[in-house]
Amino acid sequence: MRQLFLVIASIFTILSVIFAFLPLGTLAFIPIGIALIFGFLTLKKSDMRQSKWVKLFLVITVLSLLIVVGKAIFITDAVETDQQFDTQKRESKNEAQKELEDLE
Amino acid sequence: MKKYLLIFCFALSINCGFSQIKSGEKLVFAASYNMSGLMTQLAQVTMETETIKTSKTSYLHLSCQATTFSKWDSFFKIRDLYESYVHPLTLKPSLYKRNINEGGYTKTEKYVFKKDGKTVTSTSKKRNKPETNSIFTIGNSTQDIVTLIYKLRTVDFKNFKNGQTRSFVIVFDEKEIPVVVKFMGKETISAGSLGTKECYKLSIGARTKVLKGKDQNIIWLTADTQKIPALIKFSIPVGTGQLKLASASGI
Repeated sequence: MRQLFLVIASIFTILSVIFAFLPLGTLAFIPIGIALIFGFLTLKKSDMRQSKWVKLFLVITVLSLLIVVGKAIFITDAVETDQQFDTQKRESKNEAQKELEDLE
Repeated sequence: MKKYLLIFCFALSINCGFSQIKSGEKLVFAASYNMSGLMTQLAQVTMETETIKTSKTSYLHLSCQATTFSKWDSFFKIRDLYESYVHPLTLKPSLYKRNINEGGYTKTEKYVFKKDGKTVTSTSKKRNKPETNSIFTIGNSTQDIVTLIYKLRTVDFKNFKNGQTRSFVIVFDEKEIPVVVKFMGKETISAGSLGTKECYKLSIGARTKVLKGKDQNIIWLTADTQKIPALIKFSIPVGTGQLKLASASGI
């Protein structure tokens, strides 16, 4: 059972790190939560000698959690100025104006 | 005489549900998508109105653009632009343009509504495919999707009863699609920079594969004269999401 918990905890720890760096926002809480649950379960079933890896997974997961929370608090959702899109909008409007003139 | 004519026009515009859409209006929404039960903010949707003058007349330019937040751009960039050029009072469309760019998939579409009000000349182009042209007929009251959103705002829902419906027809992907709007009462919700507002809750139903479920596509319009869309919830084949009003200016 300990081995199974350890495998699950390690998989979700890796996923936590990936999700924390991707722009998935609070969605990263899902793998983080699972990694923490299975990390603690594994830790409970481990003796002192076996707990080294589990503790490392837990530290990595907590760090991922801090990154996600930090991103949620400090990084605001913003739209970048897109010159190409702005030009496209301008051209579309100019083109439309000509088409409307032709319609009349 | 001119004064009476003006009063008459004003009265007519109120009674006939003519446009109350102002030029220079800008509504900004935050678009979220439901990912594994969590709403994740993906994009900004901006709806703008502007007066466009030609040598003979003027049009109301209705535009709706979707832009992914910069953090998403490297993963799935969206730059969608939907535009409609309509009569400023009747909101009858003359030209509709759609230009989408979603994660590299591009499509442009243009409908020119002929003066007879029944014929549409369409030009369409998808990525890596040649441009196609076609002419098709539509009903007298058929409009494009952008115009419908604005037209909905001209409907007087004050005397509507729960469950009462109103029918519209839109033209989308060169097909006429009947749309039924069902009044679902009033609700008080948060309307971004406008604060908490009492809103008309309307369910949008259309015979199309694009929208899914019964009463799962809902729009909340502020229950005042401006009828600003405060919240839009949608259900599409690939999931659910929402557009929440962030700011409103020029209203």
